[in-house]
Amino acid sequence: MSPIVPIAVTGMGAISAIGNDVAENFKSLAEANHGIGPIRQLETCHEERLLAGEVHMSNAELYDRLGLPQDIAYTRSTLLALWASREALEAAAIDPTDGYRTGLISATTVGGMDATERYYDDYLASAKNRSFIPTHPCGYAAEQIAGQLGIADFVTTISTACSSAANAIMLGARMIRAGLLDRAIVGGTDCLSRFTVNGFNSLMIYTDGHCRPFDENRNGLNLGEAAAYLVLEAEEVARNRAILPIAYVTGYGNANDAFHQTASSDNGEGAYLAMQQALEIARLNPADVDYINAHGTATPNNDLAEGNALLRMYGSASALPPFSSTKAFTGHTLAAAGAIEAVFSILALQHQVVFPNLNFSQPIASLNIVPQTGLAAKKIDHVLSNSFGFGGNCSTLIFSKDHD
Amino acid sequence: MIKPIYIHGSGCISVQPTFEAGYFFDTLRAYQLNPVPALDPDYKAFIPALQLRRMNKSMRMAIFAAKLAMEQAGITAIDAVITGSGLGCLRDSERFVENLRAEEGSSLNPTPFIQSTHNMAAAALALSLDCKGYNMTYVNNANSFESALLDGMIYLTEHSSQTILLGGVDELGERTTQFWNLAGYLKHHNPILPLPLKEEAAPGEINTEGATFFVASQQRGRHSLGQISAVETRLETGTPEAFIQDFLQRNHVAINTLDAVILGCNGDVRYDNVYWALGNSCFAGLPQIAFKHALGEYDTVVAAALFLAFGIFRHQYIPPSLLLNDRQPRSLQRILIYTQRRGQNHSVILVER
Amino acid sequence: MSELTEELKAKIISQLNLEDLTVDDLDDNTPLFGNGLGLDSIDALELIVMLDKSYGIKLSDPKEGRKVFETVQTMADFIEANRK
Repeated sequence: MSPIVPIAVTGMGAISAIGNDVAENFKSLAEANHGIGPIRQLETCHEERLLAGEVHMSNAELYDRLGLPQDIAYTRSTLLALWASREALEAAAIDPTDGYRTGLISATTVGGMDATERYYDDYLASAKNRSFIPTHPCGYAAEQIAGQLGIADFVTTISTACSSAANAIMLGARMIRAGLLDRAIVGGTDCLSRFTVNGFNSLMIYTDGHCRPFDENRNGLNLGEAAAYLVLEAEEVARNRAILPIAYVTGYGNANDAFHQTASSDNGEGAYLAMQQALEIARLNPADVDYINAHGTATPNNDLAEGNALLRMYGSASALPPFSSTKAFTGHTLAAAGAIEAVFSILALQHQVVFPNLNFSQPIASLNIVPQTGLAAKKIDHVLSNSFGFGGNCSTLIFSKDHD
Repeated sequence: MIKPIYIHGSGCISVQPTFEAGYFFDTLRAYQLNPVPALDPDYKAFIPALQLRRMNKSMRMAIFAAKLAMEQAGITAIDAVITGSGLGCLRDSERFVENLRAEEGSSLNPTPFIQSTHNMAAAALALSLDCKGYNMTYVNNANSFESALLDGMIYLTEHSSQTILLGGVDELGERTTQFWNLAGYLKHHNPILPLPLKEEAAPGEINTEGATFFVASQQRGRHSLGQISAVETRLETGTPEAFIQDFLQRNHVAINTLDAVILGCNGDVRYDNVYWALGNSCFAGLPQIAFKHALGEYDTVVAAALFLAFGIFRHQYIPPSLLLNDRQPRSLQRILIYTQRRGQNHSVILVER
Repeated sequence: MSELTEELKAKIISQLNLEDLTVDDLDDNTPLFGNGLGLDSIDALELIVMLDKSYGIKLSDPKEGRKVFETVQTMADFIEANRK
């Protein structure tokens, strides 16, 4: 059996409600400045009652600052993705024409739905916005991004609800290890849309007010929008390019809860299996994990299931490493969640801090687990990040300072 | 490196009666419309009513096709599910958009929202088969199935003792079809199936829907249908012939050892030239087979081409209704599938008996 | 009262897509969830939408639904007590 290739992370890029780049995101996390507020850009009748994490740039601004031609249709998800992936490529000093086989693995659930829902009747009535018609499918954004970034070797898009970007990162690592690629730009994007705001509201899991991950009185999520991308490279490639890895992807796992279309099983079976697999790949024990960035959407169901899975893994509340959900900062960014939280996990490694779980006051009675509520300095070698989606799709990633 | 995989069962739902036992394109159903919905088998044969009520067409077709494949493979359980879908669960997406545009602010039915999630077919399979393993969905336009296939090959190289489901599914949507029409995708001039591919060439596609699923593993069985040796995709290329030649070279296959080639020509005069050019150059000596003129066009229809290839291996016969030229095969052991859609999303798959 | 229960049964069948069932198949007192009809949490949400749209009653907490939706009879009682 061939030796396992270490997967170096050589760059990352991010845009969310708490910052337009990685540094701004870190500053907000460190200073406990969340980005959840009334919906200002998306036009929806819920704009006052439901709070969300919007990116503080309009589409027009994004077009302008990205230098994009006005006559080409880019949906908001694609604009955010272009923004974040450019930062990642610059950070990793990537030249896509340097001869290394480079792939783009993106993720989205909204795709071009923000345009489709806006122009749904317009398209039929007038030719004005029809250039947006082809942007509807989820796969379209990656094609536009690949074109803009000059990536030709391999392009694909994953869409598995809220675990999408985590799965994209996982595939990137696996393709490099399988010898199919030398490096992969991996991540995801989702913009806010009436579709998702109304969707989660119809499921009665959208809180009014601010979400309270892992709190006994939590009653739902806030949505957010974001895009984040990592550059993964075979370690040897990074060495040849004289670029210093900022972290390593050492573990990954995907399992299915197979319980219900949307709800998680109470004991979090899918979550448990995904975490177990990731630890196995990383050749780590649960006790080796220094910080867990939880999925923690603050829905009654997720936090109970995830909490139960964590307790099963660790045996008792006191054995749990520090854990937090950062969704009270950014909102639940759906397909981007796995990627923006991968960035946060790597920031935790770089700065040796655990980020706070905001809005917590009382532990879930049946679990009695308490998240980290303040920023804390800690020696961190390994971070575990969870992302769980509809359809029972459970994914876990592990990021490490070094590889073994 | 990744290894070839073996296929032990397949199931296909399409506009032709491909799910009927014994059917192998001897006759083709004719249609005079665009788009054309897939034929519905008796879903209740495989799916209890209480589950069926909560399933859109994508989910039903996927489960039925997957169960046919599992039946053929003689198994009742599976370790992983990997699917591709270009547009996901389109009808529920449309329904939810229409509801929210009409009634945002009042109570909206959650079911179409839930069922619009792109990975619902894979999720339905996991639920139906109680499969807690790896579950993935690629939504990557006309290379969605190929991405699922590649992942499946990587997965089985990593987990060589496992057996997985691999499939592609796409459904039609009413409003979306109108949008595609406005975007110039659809064929207006003489939209019929089977489509005369070269005569009366006109712009546009005949849009259809369908689901095709396979049971795959790394172990060759006595009743295996064949092996998938390699797959490659390329979003764009100015030189499809070079793309194909490079692929064959990388896989140590000489063109003259191929027994037939399946081409993705779909009657869209704007983009079919690439196939005719290949047919006159590197594929000139080979039996050339088409499938989209019988099954129509949708993002994951290439999975049906694979289904066809395995059928050809099994019957050792190319259905005349699908043969483009009059070359007869010497044997039928090795087939290449090449397809693209609207000048993009090229893919090449090598299958062997 | 029985007019309401008959009406409810028809609405339940159509709202929840229970195509194989007729109004006669549904007993007033069969448990709708769990061991009776086997409905789930999504069905409960759909019934909440139905309560709102057809009878003008809004349930703001999905947990309230558990008691209300126990049987056709409990639904009818609740509607009688709360309808506008």
